[in-house]
Amino acid sequence: MQGLARWALAAAALVAASGSVAAQEVKELRIGYQPNPIQELSIAMFEAWGAKNGVKIVKVPNSYGVYVEKMTASLTSNSDQYDVIWHNDDWGQTWAHLLEPMDDVEANKFASKWSMDKIVFGNDKGQNTVVPMGQTFSVFFYRSDLVKPEEVPKTLDELVTMSKKLQAEGKVKFGYVGGASMNNSWFTWFWSMWGNNCDVLMPFYERDNKKLAAAGWKSSMNEPCMQKTVEYWWDAINTHKIVPRGMPAYDRNEANAVFTAGDAAFTVADTLWWGNFNDPAKSKVAGKVAAARFPLGPDRQKPFGWDDIWGWAIPKSIPEERKKLAKQMLNAMMLDKEGQIKMFKATGAPPPNTSFWPEIAEQEPFMKLLKEAVLDSPDKVRGAYYFPQWPAVHKAFNDTVTKAVTGKREDIAKVLAEGAPLVSKAAQQ
Amino acid sequence: MFGEQQRFVLLLIAPAALLMLLFQVVPIVIGANASFRDWALYNPKKIWVGLAHYHSVITDPAFLYVVLPNTFLFMILSVLGALVTGLALALLLNRPFPGQKIVQTILLVPLMVAPVIAAIMIRWIFNDQFGIVNVVLEALGFDGQPWLVQRWSAFAIIVLTDIWLWTPWFTLLLLAGLQSLPKEPFEAAAIDGTSTWRVFRYLTLPMLRPVIVVCVVIRAIDAFRTFDIVWTLTGGGPGRSTELFSLYAYVLAFLNLDLGRGSAAAIIGGLIILVLGVVMYRLVDRIAKA
Repeated sequence: MQGLARWALAAAALVAASGSVAAQEVKELRIGYQPNPIQELSIAMFEAWGAKNGVKIVKVPNSYGVYVEKMTASLTSNSDQYDVIWHNDDWGQTWAHLLEPMDDVEANKFASKWSMDKIVFGNDKGQNTVVPMGQTFSVFFYRSDLVKPEEVPKTLDELVTMSKKLQAEGKVKFGYVGGASMNNSWFTWFWSMWGNNCDVLMPFYERDNKKLAAAGWKSSMNEPCMQKTVEYWWDAINTHKIVPRGMPAYDRNEANAVFTAGDAAFTVADTLWWGNFNDPAKSKVAGKVAAARFPLGPDRQKPFGWDDIWGWAIPKSIPEERKKLAKQMLNAMMLDKEGQIKMFKATGAPPPNTSFWPEIAEQEPFMKLLKEAVLDSPDKVRGAYYFPQWPAVHKAFNDTVTKAVTGKREDIAKVLAEGAPLVSKAAQQ
Repeated sequence: MFGEQQRFVLLLIAPAALLMLLFQVVPIVIGANASFRDWALYNPKKIWVGLAHYHSVITDPAFLYVVLPNTFLFMILSVLGALVTGLALALLLNRPFPGQKIVQTILLVPLMVAPVIAAIMIRWIFNDQFGIVNVVLEALGFDGQPWLVQRWSAFAIIVLTDIWLWTPWFTLLLLAGLQSLPKEPFEAAAIDGTSTWRVFRYLTLPMLRPVIVVCVVIRAIDAFRTFDIVWTLTGGGPGRSTELFSLYAYVLAFLNLDLGRGSAAAIIGGLIILVLGVVMYRLVDRIAKA
């Protein structure tokens, strides 16, 4: 009888132990992301939260070059490969129907209203599908050791004049450098186009798909402002020689390499490269970089800021308990003041919680500038369009302007006219 | 139904056949199905659209007047370049000399480099600011060139990269072919005092012809579907001036996220390769029998 009791006790202990193991089962969240300073630091906040809450954060890096197609395939196949994925305004509408609504993430109330507009990340029910990771937009960087703040070019013409002056004095090899190839259009083509009252589609600066459709998805390739923009860069390359001749093929890394080597006085890049530009291990111009508003073209007088976010999203197809856990993590990240300040200091990307901005701006002159020039600016531009065909439109645009700027100057108008229907057609397919 | 020996043979080929079915036949069938449907990657409605995607591809001026000519030009130049270089190296390596094995091993290095890695390396070599090519040119008093923003220089770099990657493959196979040739005709030619060129022209080349032709056929079909080095080096640019067939299909399917149209382009490319393959196979057959 005693033996039987012993067996019963042992069995009870085993059941209790297994129950306890189940209760202590390691919880895990898998993050699909692209290795990049801002994403790494945002994930560091997830990891800090995970360490406190017994959740293992598994990082799954994906190449930027194949990110959209890979993640789209993952989302449409209803796989549960990732619990949280990097999200971007560019594909905000492409994925809206495949993502979990985030309206119940309470800390989203601290996110930038402009960046969270439903035009960008809203689904067909008007629900938001993102939690911001940080503001990701570009500014006009300049060499503060060569150019005083009051001398920073305010117009595209002044950019030429100042560049030539610096080149003549032997201070730099080039005036300006920026990425210009496909998927790097922002760093040369887009900012100079927006700064000249121009845009990819008409009406200019419009992002409401209904209004764009009503206008017939009309391309602005034939507009005088676009011709002026392309002619400006053609002259900058061939006549004034203020930019490298290879620039039309540059991606952001190649352009950043020229700037950080000290070979160019000005560049346009995402603010999140601020940290790298000022890291002596990665840049010869560390400590000599400042930022300003974009120079304007002849057709625009009012300064503008370009403001977008990167964010995190949750696939609709994952189990409810993991969605809940992921939302808790994202909510905690939004409230992690220490982590967000660290992210700004390391990268220069304004953090996702807007309530932290004033305090950071008091401590950091760069943030003060970003707040004044971009974040608090009433004249903002959105960096992409928000319909699924945008990548095709972007490519048609980039192919056309690249062909125009690498050809003969007298052929620019003809090449743009040939490209106009291709851009419109890409939007309508 | 089957004898013991046949069952054994079937058992042996079953794993390979199964793998082929799963990873080649099934994807082709799925792709072919997608090519007749409205199948956006982000929203696969899968509505039947018949031949609409095919019509759109074969009437696309970029496909007809840029992509196909570029692809065939690339195929011809790349295969020819690698063949000539590979044959020259094979002939050199076919003679014993000190350190021959080491040289042979070094020459095989490009075969061990992933094409994407090679392309990234070449992109920086030809970078107009930091690339070694411009550094050398400028040191010699010439102007550095923006290699990747000019159509034909960008195209030449793509071809040269491909030749660099594939020359060792030709070298290896042609060297094996050379070493398997009978020695007697060469000994007879040496006794007759025949010049090196005439030995090459009238003995080596004709005897090596079947090996050369097989190499060319395999490589030509493979060159038609080249993607990685072009995507990494130029992305098909400047503009679309160096775009090849594989990039065209890739952009449609995975950049524009239109799997239907991308699949149609891929099927059209597959048909072109099929026709090309049949023609070349017949050519091989004729040459081998000659």
